[in-house]
Amino acid sequence: MNVVDLLITIVVVTILVTIVLAVITYVAYKLRLSRHPGDDLLTNGDLRFFVPYRPTAPEEGSVTHAAQA
Amino acid sequence: MRSRRRRILVSLLLVEVLVVATAVFIIWAMRAPPNTQAFLLRVMVVSLLIFLAILFLRYFTLLWFAYLGHTERSVMGEKRARMLSPISIIVPAFNEAEVLRDALRSLSRLDYPELEVIVVDDGSTDDTLLVAAEWEGRQGTVEFKALTKSNGGKAAALNAGIRASKHPFVFCMDADSMLESETLRKAMQQFDDPTVGAVAGNVKVENRGHLITKLQALEYIEGLNLPRRAQGFIAAVNIVPGPVGLFRREALEEVGGYDTDTFAEDADLTLKLVGSGWKVVYEDRAIAWTEAPEDWIDLVQQRYRWTRGILQSLKKRKGLFLYPLPDFPLWLSILEMGFEAVVWPILNVYAHLFFALSALLFGAGELLLYWWILLTLLDLVAAFVTVSMEQESLSLVPYAFAYRFFFILFLDVVKTFAALEELFNLGMGWEKVRRVATS
Repeated sequence: MNVVDLLITIVVVTILVTIVLAVITYVAYKLRLSRHPGDDLLTNGDLRFFVPYRPTAPEEGSVTHAAQA
Repeated sequence: MRSRRRRILVSLLLVEVLVVATAVFIIWAMRAPPNTQAFLLRVMVVSLLIFLAILFLRYFTLLWFAYLGHTERSVMGEKRARMLSPISIIVPAFNEAEVLRDALRSLSRLDYPELEVIVVDDGSTDDTLLVAAEWEGRQGTVEFKALTKSNGGKAAALNAGIRASKHPFVFCMDADSMLESETLRKAMQQFDDPTVGAVAGNVKVENRGHLITKLQALEYIEGLNLPRRAQGFIAAVNIVPGPVGLFRREALEEVGGYDTDTFAEDADLTLKLVGSGWKVVYEDRAIAWTEAPEDWIDLVQQRYRWTRGILQSLKKRKGLFLYPLPDFPLWLSILEMGFEAVVWPILNVYAHLFFALSALLFGAGELLLYWWILLTLLDLVAAFVTVSMEQESLSLVPYAFAYRFFFILFLDVVKTFAALEELFNLGMGWEKVRRVATS
């Protein structure tokens, strides 16, 4: 096997393995969600806010000053 | 709970269908008559050429515009903000007790004449509110305030903070981000132009101890800041990032603040500003340091949400896709956002998969190899140029190999699944959730 063939093999294998690993990680993420539904909201900094909110009352009413709380 | 399980099952089914379809294609291609194989080979070559043309066009447009934006300042000379108007800084925080102190400490060291910092505790269950309350009061030029509200999401928390603030400029950031002392002064310079409604800052990865975070550090510079720098040259930035965005209050009030119906409130707000005729620019010296995920599943989770959030913002404006006029800047922003967030990642996955299979099935390995080497060289050049522009350590440049070798493809696969799920309108598990059950 010459160098070019070796490089081709490395590139092809890396591409396919990366895709497979990405799919596995995606499936793992989905499984984690199903086992611990709250985790995505509590463990990752980016996700803790991702809960849509449709207020039933004006927002101002729910805001209180910390010093008064 | 049942609907969540059903959604997850549908997602997994989607994966299975794609894997089976790929396997069927491989078997069919291997058994196909020579004429069909020759036809497939021709299709592959044409696809390769089209992909390369798009790729070159994308890279060179971004690099050229970014270069023009970068050199513009050195040609025009250093600008100085004519006025340093008071700024209100909004820090939404949900269970951030551990990192909030560092963020507030960085704010207390800002070099700016008059500041108001409002920490909005979004119904945290930890000591976030206590930490915020500890900082209440005036420290030098900075007045710290703490608000608390029931949990309602980041957008609602930001809106609450904006409403409670008083200054003519509003800076929105994340509670786990830290600003450099010059960040606000640099961002403020851009507001000398009265048509500028918002300034997007430069987000950098703070934790660079692992391969995954080093790759993200490079990705932020090459993959996120490069397009933003290029967009900034034509004053059409389409995402003011969550950790570092300075807004003119007048602009925020005109568009009604943040909407709460997408998972990418920053992208959505930016499109609203552009659609209202405000310029959105980029200031690379307005720097915020943020913490990147150190776990692969967390990274998948983050990018999945980003992609779906951006698609949700785009879906709200789907009627505009075919109409460049009368609002050309908005149309351009929408198109560019859709291309960078969805079309390009899907194209990249398709190309990699297609060329790898072609190499396996038709022996077109050399073609694949040269294509891959070209891509890697392009990434190396882009990494070198962008890292230099940002005056970052050149030690990040060699990571462009790993970046091309697997990192970008890995992320693009995740984005592809996220895009498919959004396309099929699979819920994200929040339709029936009105508030996070934190107590």
